[in-house]
Amino acid sequence: MILSKRSAAAAAPIAVFCLLVGCATATKPEAMVADKVAVAHPSSSDVSVAVSGGKETSSAGASQVSNDAFAQALRDSIKNSGLFSAVNASGGRYKLTAFIGKMDQPMMGFSMTVKMEVSYTLADSRSNQSVWSKNIASEYTAKASAAFAGVERLRLATEGAAKANIQQAMTELAALQL
Amino acid sequence: MKRLAHLALLVAAALLLGCATANSSRAPNADLHHLKTFYVVRVPEDERGIEKLIAKRLVTLGFQCTAGDAPTPASPVDAIVTYQDRWMWDITMYMIKLDIQVHDGATGAILANGEVMRPSLQRKSPEGMVEETLGVLFK
Repeated sequence: MILSKRSAAAAAPIAVFCLLVGCATATKPEAMVADKVAVAHPSSSDVSVAVSGGKETSSAGASQVSNDAFAQALRDSIKNSGLFSAVNASGGRYKLTAFIGKMDQPMMGFSMTVKMEVSYTLADSRSNQSVWSKNIASEYTAKASAAFAGVERLRLATEGAAKANIQQAMTELAALQL
Repeated sequence: MKRLAHLALLVAAALLLGCATANSSRAPNADLHHLKTFYVVRVPEDERGIEKLIAKRLVTLGFQCTAGDAPTPASPVDAIVTYQDRWMWDITMYMIKLDIQVHDGATGAILANGEVMRPSLQRKSPEGMVEETLGVLFK
């Protein structure tokens, strides 16, 4: 099949647009897992993790951090550092809740910086009291050389901001004496 | 082939134009009803006075509210408000997205957020964007 000049002229910018923009992909939990931290007082109790405020990624939108992905990254980070004896989906002596309250993403750009803010609370389920709470802000810049497609750079920047946020949370939790 | 070209144009138009969205979320157990006094922190890059529009709208909604450049107010308040405004060019500049966060005045923890995104053809004035965003945030 041969394209007419008119159709080709109409299709060309669309093809270029799709190549440059691409489709957004969801952030990956494994890319948001914090590096291992030194734990001053490992807890002999178990913990559960609950996340809210996250968003699902639509292919035509920007990469987002879903509640499930952030919770998985938090669970894996806790396990890696051995902060608690076990990490459960629900129940447990302690409950760590995280509310993703801010996700500031650029609309476009070469270097992309994503800023994120998460409110964490660790509560003792026996006393029903909060033992630690902190609002943690983080940011990460994916440089132009990080990926050709803008949606890819945005995903990398979003994952980087989430990882930096979890890293700070793990460092704070590691200093607690529970 | 002509149909294919039209379909491709339609898909591209849908991608470029998009739909207006308005979302909000709240931290577990967050109660916004007890908040009475607010302080809006101006974004350093904001030269359009969006912080004043937010403060004005909050006053209209029945709250006490001030705005300023300092990250914290001179006197204690129930809540501190932060925002991020995104602008695009299409014939004229317009606000494509507005995010607003309400923080606890004492701890700084984010209690709730609201966001509105309006592409060019569904654009609103900055006052309209502020009104809609605070509307979804406090609904």
